[in-house]
Amino acid sequence: MTLSVVALVATVAVGIGTYAMRSSFIHALADRDLPPAVREALRYVAPSVMAALVVSLGFGGSAGVGWAEIAALSVGGVVGWRTRSLPLVLVAGMATLWALRAAL
Amino acid sequence: MLVPVVPFALVLGLAIAESPLPNLVGWLGSSLIFGGSAQLTVVTLSAEGAGLAAVVAAGLVVQTRHFMYSAAFAPVFAGQPSWFRWLGPYFLIDQQFALTSLRVDDPPDSFRRYYLTVGLAFWVVWQATVALGLVVGPVVPGEWSLDFAVPLLFVGLLTAAIDSRPALVAAVAAGAVTWATLGVPNRLGIVLGAFAGIAAGVGASRR
Repeated sequence: MTLSVVALVATVAVGIGTYAMRSSFIHALADRDLPPAVREALRYVAPSVMAALVVSLGFGGSAGVGWAEIAALSVGGVVGWRTRSLPLVLVAGMATLWALRAAL
Repeated sequence: MLVPVVPFALVLGLAIAESPLPNLVGWLGSSLIFGGSAQLTVVTLSAEGAGLAAVVAAGLVVQTRHFMYSAAFAPVFAGQPSWFRWLGPYFLIDQQFALTSLRVDDPPDSFRRYYLTVGLAFWVVWQATVALGLVVGPVVPGEWSLDFAVPLLFVGLLTAAIDSRPALVAAVAAGAVTWATLGVPNRLGIVLGAFAGIAAGVGASRR
Protein backbone atom coordinates (compact mmCIF):
# COMPACT_ATOMS: atom_id res chain seq x y z
CA MET A 1 0.00 0.00 0.00
CA THR A 2 1.33 3.43 -0.84
CA LEU A 3 1.61 6.16 1.79
CA SER A 4 -1.31 8.04 0.24
CA VAL A 5 -3.64 5.04 0.33
CA VAL A 6 -2.77 4.40 3.99
CA ALA A 7 -3.41 8.07 4.78
CA LEU A 8 -6.71 8.12 2.90
CA VAL A 9 -8.09 4.90 4.42
CA ALA A 10 -6.90 5.93 7.90
CA THR A 11 -8.47 9.39 7.53
CA VAL A 12 -11.86 7.89 6.62
CA ALA A 13 -11.65 5.27 9.40
CA VAL A 14 -10.57 7.76 12.09
CA GLY A 15 -13.23 10.23 10.86
CA ILE A 16 -16.01 7.65 11.21
CA GLY A 17 -14.62 6.47 14.54
CA THR A 18 -14.43 10.03 15.86
CA TYR A 19 -18.06 10.73 15.01
CA ALA A 20 -19.09 7.41 16.56
CA MET A 21 -17.30 8.33 19.81
CA ARG A 22 -18.67 11.87 19.89
CA SER A 23 -22.22 10.62 19.39
CA SER A 24 -21.96 7.35 21.37
CA PHE A 25 -23.68 8.40 24.58
CA ILE A 26 -25.89 10.97 22.87
CA HIS A 27 -27.45 8.22 20.73
CA ALA A 28 -26.98 4.59 21.64
CA LEU A 29 -26.09 4.81 25.29
CA ALA A 30 -28.27 7.78 26.27
CA ASP A 31 -29.46 6.32 29.58
CA ARG A 32 -26.07 5.05 30.70
CA ASP A 33 -22.92 6.64 32.04
CA LEU A 34 -19.27 5.74 31.69
CA PRO A 35 -18.14 3.18 34.29
CA PRO A 36 -15.84 4.93 36.80
CA ALA A 37 -12.91 2.67 35.89
CA VAL A 38 -13.19 3.64 32.21
CA ARG A 39 -13.50 7.31 33.09
CA GLU A 40 -10.34 6.98 35.19
CA ALA A 41 -8.46 5.27 32.35
CA LEU A 42 -9.50 7.93 29.83
CA ARG A 43 -7.79 10.62 31.93
CA TYR A 44 -4.42 9.08 31.09
CA VAL A 45 -4.99 8.70 27.35
CA ALA A 46 -3.67 12.15 26.41
CA PRO A 47 -0.36 12.09 28.37
CA SER A 48 0.30 8.48 27.27
CA VAL A 49 -0.42 8.92 23.57
CA MET A 50 1.44 12.23 23.31
CA ALA A 51 4.52 10.80 25.06
CA ALA A 52 4.44 7.74 22.77
CA LEU A 53 4.15 9.96 19.68
CA VAL A 54 6.99 12.27 20.75
CA VAL A 55 9.34 9.33 21.37
CA SER A 56 8.40 7.46 18.20
CA LEU A 57 8.53 10.49 15.91
CA GLY A 58 11.62 11.92 17.59
CA PHE A 59 13.77 8.80 17.74
CA GLY A 60 12.18 6.25 15.43
CA GLY A 61 12.79 8.03 12.13
CA SER A 62 15.64 7.59 9.73
CA ALA A 63 16.61 11.28 9.90
CA GLY A 64 19.17 12.11 12.58
CA VAL A 65 18.18 14.45 15.38
CA GLY A 66 20.81 17.10 16.09
CA TRP A 67 21.61 18.98 19.28
CA ALA A 68 19.81 22.10 18.09
CA GLU A 69 16.59 20.10 17.68
CA ILE A 70 16.91 18.44 21.09
CA ALA A 71 17.59 21.83 22.72
CA ALA A 72 14.62 23.42 20.95
CA LEU A 73 12.27 20.58 21.98
CA SER A 74 13.52 20.88 25.58
CA VAL A 75 12.90 24.64 25.60
CA GLY A 76 9.42 23.96 24.17
CA GLY A 77 8.79 21.40 26.91
CA VAL A 78 9.84 23.78 29.71
CA VAL A 79 7.76 26.63 28.25
CA GLY A 80 4.74 24.32 27.91
CA TRP A 81 5.15 23.06 31.45
CA ARG A 82 5.39 26.60 32.87
CA THR A 83 2.77 28.34 30.71
CA ARG A 84 0.50 25.60 29.25
CA SER A 85 0.30 27.78 26.15
CA LEU A 86 0.58 26.09 22.76
CA PRO A 87 1.40 29.32 20.86
CA LEU A 88 4.23 30.15 23.29
CA VAL A 89 5.66 26.61 22.92
CA LEU A 90 5.76 27.05 19.15
CA VAL A 91 7.31 30.53 19.27
CA ALA A 92 9.93 29.62 21.90
CA GLY A 93 10.87 26.32 20.23
CA MET A 94 11.21 27.77 16.73
CA ALA A 95 13.16 30.78 18.03
CA THR A 96 15.57 28.46 19.86
CA LEU A 97 16.10 26.35 16.76
CA TRP A 98 16.77 29.38 14.54
CA ALA A 99 19.09 31.02 17.09
CA LEU A 100 21.16 27.85 17.61
CA ARG A 101 21.45 27.21 13.88
CA ALA A 102 22.56 30.81 13.29
CA ALA A 103 25.10 30.58 16.11
CA LEU A 104 26.59 27.17 15.29
CA MET B 1 -10.29 29.80 22.94
CA LEU B 2 -9.60 30.65 19.32
CA VAL B 3 -5.98 31.51 20.11
CA PRO B 4 -4.59 27.94 20.40
CA VAL B 5 -6.82 26.74 17.56
CA VAL B 6 -5.23 29.03 14.96
CA PRO B 7 -1.55 28.00 15.31
CA PHE B 8 -2.61 24.36 15.63
CA ALA B 9 -4.53 24.48 12.34
CA LEU B 10 -1.66 26.35 10.69
CA VAL B 11 0.88 23.72 11.76
CA LEU B 12 -1.47 20.98 10.55
CA GLY B 13 -1.79 22.67 7.15
CA LEU B 14 2.00 23.08 6.93
CA ALA B 15 2.52 19.44 7.94
CA ILE B 16 0.21 18.26 5.16
CA ALA B 17 1.86 20.56 2.62
CA GLU B 18 5.37 19.37 3.54
CA SER B 19 4.41 15.67 3.67
CA PRO B 20 4.53 13.45 0.60
CA LEU B 21 0.77 12.98 0.92
CA PRO B 22 -1.63 14.62 -1.52
CA ASN B 23 -3.26 17.80 -0.21
CA LEU B 24 -6.64 16.24 -0.98
CA VAL B 25 -6.19 13.84 1.96
CA GLY B 26 -5.56 16.83 4.21
CA TRP B 27 -8.60 18.72 2.94
CA LEU B 28 -10.73 15.64 3.45
CA GLY B 29 -9.37 14.95 6.93
CA SER B 30 -9.86 18.43 8.33
CA SER B 31 -13.60 18.18 7.67
CA LEU B 32 -14.05 14.41 8.06
CA ILE B 33 -12.12 14.00 11.33
CA PHE B 34 -12.43 17.63 12.50
CA GLY B 35 -9.92 17.03 15.30
CA GLY B 36 -6.39 18.41 15.24
CA SER B 37 -4.45 15.88 17.36
CA ALA B 38 -5.96 12.87 15.59
CA GLN B 39 -5.47 14.28 12.11
CA LEU B 40 -1.89 15.36 12.83
CA THR B 41 -1.26 11.85 14.14
CA VAL B 42 -2.69 10.28 10.97
CA VAL B 43 -0.77 12.65 8.68
CA THR B 44 2.63 12.37 10.38
CA LEU B 45 2.48 8.61 10.96
CA SER B 46 1.36 7.74 7.43
CA ALA B 47 3.96 10.12 5.98
CA GLU B 48 6.62 8.24 8.01
CA GLY B 49 5.52 4.97 6.44
CA ALA B 50 3.68 3.49 9.41
CA GLY B 51 1.34 0.57 8.77
CA LEU B 52 -2.39 1.12 8.35
CA ALA B 53 -3.29 -0.70 11.58
CA ALA B 54 -0.90 1.45 13.65
CA VAL B 55 -2.11 4.70 12.05
CA VAL B 56 -5.79 3.91 12.61
CA ALA B 57 -5.22 2.59 16.15
CA ALA B 58 -3.13 5.61 17.19
CA GLY B 59 -5.65 8.03 15.63
CA LEU B 60 -8.58 6.36 17.39
CA VAL B 61 -6.83 6.12 20.77
CA VAL B 62 -6.13 9.87 20.60
CA GLN B 63 -9.85 10.45 20.16
CA THR B 64 -11.15 8.27 23.00
CA ARG B 65 -11.49 11.33 25.24
CA HIS B 66 -14.59 12.17 23.22
CA PHE B 67 -16.44 9.40 25.05
CA MET B 68 -16.23 11.67 28.11
CA TYR B 69 -17.68 14.65 26.27
CA SER B 70 -20.43 12.50 24.79
CA ALA B 71 -21.36 11.06 28.19
CA ALA B 72 -21.35 14.52 29.75
CA PHE B 73 -23.64 15.94 27.07
CA ALA B 74 -26.06 12.99 26.79
CA PRO B 75 -28.56 14.47 29.30
CA VAL B 76 -28.26 17.91 27.68
CA PHE B 77 -28.92 16.55 24.19
CA ALA B 78 -31.81 14.34 25.35
CA GLY B 79 -34.21 17.28 25.21
CA GLN B 80 -33.05 18.43 21.75
CA PRO B 81 -34.65 17.69 18.36
CA SER B 82 -33.45 14.69 16.42
CA TRP B 83 -31.59 16.67 13.67
CA PHE B 84 -29.55 18.44 16.33
CA ARG B 85 -28.73 15.17 18.08
CA TRP B 86 -27.25 13.94 14.79
CA LEU B 87 -25.49 17.16 13.75
CA GLY B 88 -24.31 18.33 17.18
CA PRO B 89 -21.75 15.58 17.95
CA TYR B 90 -19.86 16.42 14.76
CA PHE B 91 -18.82 19.78 16.26
CA LEU B 92 -17.85 18.34 19.66
CA ILE B 93 -14.14 19.25 19.67
CA ASP B 94 -12.26 20.01 22.91
CA GLN B 95 -12.78 23.76 22.75
CA GLN B 96 -16.45 23.34 21.81
CA PHE B 97 -16.97 21.19 24.90
CA ALA B 98 -15.12 23.62 27.14
CA LEU B 99 -17.14 26.62 25.96
CA THR B 100 -20.62 25.14 25.61
CA SER B 101 -20.54 23.09 28.82
CA LEU B 102 -20.76 26.45 30.61
CA ARG B 103 -24.21 27.01 29.04
CA VAL B 104 -25.93 23.66 29.62
CA ASP B 105 -28.43 25.22 32.03
CA ASP B 106 -29.76 27.59 29.35
CA PRO B 107 -33.20 26.83 27.84
CA PRO B 108 -32.85 24.11 25.13
CA ASP B 109 -33.40 26.42 22.15
CA SER B 110 -30.95 29.06 23.34
CA PHE B 111 -28.36 26.37 24.18
CA ARG B 112 -28.85 24.98 20.68
CA ARG B 113 -28.33 28.40 19.06
CA TYR B 114 -25.21 29.03 21.13
CA TYR B 115 -23.81 25.55 20.42
CA LEU B 116 -24.31 25.88 16.66
CA THR B 117 -22.90 29.42 16.54
CA VAL B 118 -19.76 28.44 18.44
CA GLY B 119 -19.41 25.18 16.48
CA LEU B 120 -19.69 26.87 13.11
CA ALA B 121 -17.24 29.60 14.15
CA PHE B 122 -14.62 27.00 15.15
CA TRP B 123 -15.30 25.01 11.99
CA VAL B 124 -14.88 27.98 9.63
CA VAL B 125 -11.72 29.26 11.37
CA TRP B 126 -10.29 25.72 11.43
CA GLN B 127 -10.89 24.99 7.74
CA ALA B 128 -9.67 28.42 6.61
CA THR B 129 -6.47 28.20 8.68
CA VAL B 130 -5.62 24.64 7.58
CA ALA B 131 -6.10 25.83 3.99
CA LEU B 132 -3.82 28.81 4.68
CA GLY B 133 -1.13 26.42 5.94
CA LEU B 134 -1.50 24.30 2.80
CA VAL B 135 -1.02 27.36 0.61
CA VAL B 136 1.77 29.00 2.64
CA GLY B 137 3.75 25.77 3.23
CA PRO B 138 5.32 25.46 -0.23
CA VAL B 139 6.13 29.21 -0.37
CA VAL B 140 8.09 29.40 2.90
CA PRO B 141 11.87 28.90 2.42
CA GLY B 142 13.15 25.50 3.53
CA GLU B 143 15.76 27.05 5.87
CA TRP B 144 12.94 28.14 8.19
CA SER B 145 12.37 24.44 8.98
CA LEU B 146 8.70 24.99 9.67
CA ASP B 147 8.24 21.20 9.64
CA PHE B 148 9.94 21.27 13.05
CA ALA B 149 6.71 22.86 14.36
CA VAL B 150 5.08 19.39 14.28
CA PRO B 151 7.24 17.70 16.97
CA LEU B 152 7.11 20.99 18.92
CA LEU B 153 3.33 20.92 18.82
CA PHE B 154 3.29 17.34 20.12
CA VAL B 155 5.65 18.39 22.94
CA GLY B 156 3.26 21.28 23.74
CA LEU B 157 0.28 18.90 23.80
CA LEU B 158 2.26 16.50 26.00
CA THR B 159 3.14 19.13 28.61
CA ALA B 160 -0.47 20.40 28.59
CA ALA B 161 -1.69 16.83 29.25
CA ILE B 162 0.59 16.28 32.27
CA ASP B 163 -1.65 17.86 34.88
CA SER B 164 -1.15 15.46 37.79
CA ARG B 165 1.35 13.00 39.25
CA PRO B 166 -0.38 9.91 37.77
CA ALA B 167 -0.46 11.68 34.39
CA LEU B 168 3.31 12.19 34.66
CA VAL B 169 3.75 8.50 35.51
CA ALA B 170 1.59 7.61 32.49
CA ALA B 171 3.69 9.79 30.18
CA VAL B 172 7.02 8.40 31.44
CA ALA B 173 5.81 4.79 31.16
CA ALA B 174 4.38 5.36 27.68
CA GLY B 175 7.61 7.00 26.53
CA ALA B 176 9.76 4.23 27.98
CA VAL B 177 7.72 1.40 26.45
CA THR B 178 7.61 3.17 23.08
CA TRP B 179 11.40 3.61 23.27
CA ALA B 180 11.86 -0.09 24.10
CA THR B 181 9.60 -1.13 21.20
CA LEU B 182 11.01 1.18 18.52
CA GLY B 183 12.06 -1.98 16.65
CA VAL B 184 8.48 -3.24 16.31
CA PRO B 185 7.48 -2.78 12.67
CA ASN B 186 4.93 -0.28 11.39
CA ARG B 187 5.25 1.86 14.51
CA LEU B 188 2.88 -0.35 16.45
CA GLY B 189 5.11 0.49 19.44
CA ILE B 190 3.09 3.72 19.75
CA VAL B 191 -0.03 1.70 20.50
CA LEU B 192 1.85 -0.57 22.94
CA GLY B 193 3.37 2.47 24.65
CA ALA B 194 0.00 4.22 24.90
CA PHE B 195 -1.69 1.26 26.57
CA ALA B 196 1.25 0.77 28.95
CA GLY B 197 1.02 4.47 29.88
CA ILE B 198 -2.72 4.30 30.54
CA ALA B 199 -2.25 1.22 32.75
CA ALA B 200 0.61 2.93 34.64
CA GLY B 201 -1.48 6.07 35.15
CA VAL B 202 -4.40 4.07 36.57
CA GLY B 203 -1.97 2.12 38.79
CA ALA B 204 -0.32 5.31 40.08
CA SER B 205 -3.68 6.92 40.87
CA ARG B 206 -4.72 3.99 43.05
CA ARG B 207 -1.76 4.34 45.40
